[in-house]
Amino acid sequence: MLAALFLWALSAQAQTLNQRIEQCGACHGADGNSVMEKIPSLAGQPEFFVLNQLILIREGVRPIEAMQDVVKGLKDEDIVAIAAHFNKLVARPAGDKPDPAMVERGSLLSTKLRCTSCHGPALTGDQQMPRLAKQRIDYMAAALKDYRDNKRKGADTAMTAVIYGLNDADIDAIAHYAASR
Amino acid sequence: MVKRIVTSAFFLTASFLFTGVALAQAPAAANPNGTSDLDKSDKAKSGQDVNLRGAPVPPIATPLDKIPVDKIKLPAGFKAEVWSHGHPGARTMVQGAKGTIFMGSRVIGRVYAITEKDGKREVKTMLTGLTQPNGLAFKDGSLYVFAINKVLRFDNIEDKLDNPGTPVDLSAAYNLPPEIHHNWKYVDFGPDGKMYVQVGANCNICELNPGIYAQIRRYNPDGTGMEIVARGIRNTVGFDWHPQTKELWFTDNGRDWAGNDGPQDELNRLPKGQEGANFGFPYCHANGIPDPDIKKPNACAGVILPAALTGPHSAGLGIKFYTGSMFPKAYQGVAFIARHGSWNREKRFGYDVVVARVNGGKATIEPFMTGLLDTGKNEFLGRPSYVFQMKDGSLLVSDENMGATYRISYSAKYRVSYSAK
Repeated sequence: MLAALFLWALSAQAQTLNQRIEQCGACHGADGNSVMEKIPSLAGQPEFFVLNQLILIREGVRPIEAMQDVVKGLKDEDIVAIAAHFNKLVARPAGDKPDPAMVERGSLLSTKLRCTSCHGPALTGDQQMPRLAKQRIDYMAAALKDYRDNKRKGADTAMTAVIYGLNDADIDAIAHYAASR
Repeated sequence: MVKRIVTSAFFLTASFLFTGVALAQAPAAANPNGTSDLDKSDKAKSGQDVNLRGAPVPPIATPLDKIPVDKIKLPAGFKAEVWSHGHPGARTMVQGAKGTIFMGSRVIGRVYAITEKDGKREVKTMLTGLTQPNGLAFKDGSLYVFAINKVLRFDNIEDKLDNPGTPVDLSAAYNLPPEIHHNWKYVDFGPDGKMYVQVGANCNICELNPGIYAQIRRYNPDGTGMEIVARGIRNTVGFDWHPQTKELWFTDNGRDWAGNDGPQDELNRLPKGQEGANFGFPYCHANGIPDPDIKKPNACAGVILPAALTGPHSAGLGIKFYTGSMFPKAYQGVAFIARHGSWNREKRFGYDVVVARVNGGKATIEPFMTGLLDTGKNEFLGRPSYVFQMKDGSLLVSDENMGATYRISYSAKYRVSYSAK
């Protein structure tokens, strides 16, 4: 397994941009809408957000084991192109369907926590702020819990401060609400 | 009643943290969010646009032809040029004995080494993957790197810029708080040979444990012998010593969400013999303004008020006293302060370098390097972060957003051509 990853990483150096994007799609969905559990959709994400995160992942500031070999060989200009590519794709619902009762609870929480003040009125993201609308529920809930529990290394403290003190059910509700938008 | 609850919560937090310190080398378990539970920020009450937020720092280099050096305005006779570029997130600068400029950053987690050969600069990304390595100091061949809760010393660093090797880890000795909020470091060696270290407030505005937060400390370089040099400082992000009096002068960034116009940021002076003095946070701000949310009687009693106010939300970061001879007499002995520019203000402010003219214990502020703020569009073109004086007397200004430095030089010749225009 490790050897396979290693070989794959070596070959990554010679890849064209299209091959690299195809590689992203293997987990994040060919059209940028993920069909894999707990893997985020990237379709329609703000360009700056994808650019910023890929660089932080590459630099090891935000270490993600599964991403490490993929991003290692990426040059800044590759990352710029990948970010532009995913930004142009259309976000579609992916994964579990939002539950109406959860959506309603999440909507109230979102108003209270002012999610839109950073993530935009339609939660479609802005600059370094990710798009949350139509994100996979399982990914979004897991990501929020990581923020809350201080398990997301390299993250800005602002996000953690906003959701500090929420219980799992609150977080699940916010994830359902965001997915429904 | 409310007061009672706040007080007891404070004691709980405080005793918890003290326990953490007593237990020792393992850092105290932090509040998981890195900001205090006692934070009193109230966006709605501030009367400000609740959607105000910080602008992101580009994580990639701005191409040379997009760096707005031609927009920079300076007094007659001064000139700005791009000195180095291609180092995203450019902030603090220190120089090694052999001439290397080391540069710290925040979000991108890098430390750069910039060397000069035949009038050209080479930028190396020397360290990566650190959490906000903003604090750098150089002494006896060693580079000290301060990231969040991490202190590393790289010996003989200028002989191995391409492969810095394993550093000496001084983190346990320094035992700094692990929280991220207001805890990216500014550090420097003082005239006494001690390492001076910033420890910010773990909140925007809160009751805090004054034994741990909102201070400037000094240590022996190996991390022993900690002393609190100054207290009640929300977040100093730069300091320097007056070349004659050897007194410590420091910038301090005022609280947010208390209005667009203040309380203003501060330039402070620690008078000789006043080690341990109190500068007011969280009770007293700027020129003696009691905090609207954290109250106590005689909030400003015993507080050393600022030497100068440096503007609302202007975010004064780096400060350096000018000791060179290239600049005219009028600039010799002044302090240059880089103002990173506001985020918690509807009309942007700062994004420049100002001069502080010291007169005894006070100072007056005047503009120096401007042009990076477009007030009409309410947009900024660049963000000056730190200033550094080169051996020839020119001044480097780092621009965090451009990933570049500007070199500011003076010549009477520029003055003539400037006037002729």
